[in-house]
Amino acid sequence: MRANTNLFWILGGFFLLADAVYTIWSLFFSEFDRVEWVGTVAMALSGIFAFFLAFYLGRTYAAQGGEGPSDLPDANIDDGDPEMGTFSPWSWWPLIIAFGLALMFLGVAVGVWITFIGVPVVAVSLIGWYYEYYRGNFAR
Amino acid sequence: MIVWLGSEVMFFAGLFAIYFTLRSTSPGLWAQETAHLNVPYALVNTLILVSSSFTCQAGVFAAERLQSRRTGKLMQFWKWGLVEWFYLTFSLGAVFVTGQVFEYANLVSEHIGFDSNAYGSSFYLTTGFHALHVTCGLIAFLLVLGRVFAVKNFTHREATTAIVVSYYWHFVDVVWIGLFLVIYVLK
Repeated sequence: MRANTNLFWILGGFFLLADAVYTIWSLFFSEFDRVEWVGTVAMALSGIFAFFLAFYLGRTYAAQGGEGPSDLPDANIDDGDPEMGTFSPWSWWPLIIAFGLALMFLGVAVGVWITFIGVPVVAVSLIGWYYEYYRGNFAR
Repeated sequence: MIVWLGSEVMFFAGLFAIYFTLRSTSPGLWAQETAHLNVPYALVNTLILVSSSFTCQAGVFAAERLQSRRTGKLMQFWKWGLVEWFYLTFSLGAVFVTGQVFEYANLVSEHIGFDSNAYGSSFYLTTGFHALHVTCGLIAFLLVLGRVFAVKNFTHREATTAIVVSYYWHFVDVVWIGLFLVIYVLK
């Protein structure tokens, strides 16, 4: 997190420096002889965005109360591997929902009556997929 | 989730691009057709949708406390759980979509249709795709509530579902603020 924070501070500084160079260059050393606003504003905003991220990461680092795995030289890869959510190891439902959606969009192209066949297939498979781990053996 | 919302941002960026391109090619048409818009009506509708984002977030805070249901009486909203807040959010979102339907009906009666001119096409494309997203969000709220009712113990898994749907809802809300500013304020 510390390295990420510093990288974004450096990146923001680089954008502002490039912005200054670009503005001076367009003022004095190009055929424009005036400020080229699109590039100037875009690079200034890029710098500000990078500073936003650096500030946010800095605050997050300060609030976590200690070193995270990414800052420890002796950490393992899976120390920084958080619980991402619950994922099904395998399921038939995505296949059925894809079939239903294919019918729905085929109906838009070919004839609307096919869409009306697709809609209940999508409805059933959406609910089937969503509640797959909430029924039967998995009910809790 | 965040990556998918990023792709959604690009989708709506395309719709905004359509709107701005057509607007720059026919400014006279815009001046004539935007006069039909009922801005105070749309403002009220916007406020309803924005407030639904706040009630949604209150539901997320309840979910993060792992509190699915209220601990007090029905009117003691400060003791509400996820279920009560999401019901309220659903109602506000449904009122918004209903308001959109009435607005469409009103505009069609003033001869702004989907196929009448470039303004009608871009207006209904942008706001219509947004209304479709809101409707999908409403279905998602019902699915989340279904999960909460399906389990005996409210766990982090259900809380995560609620939080993910709230991300989507906030996204749809922010897109509407952009659409409102472009269509009703900027004209």
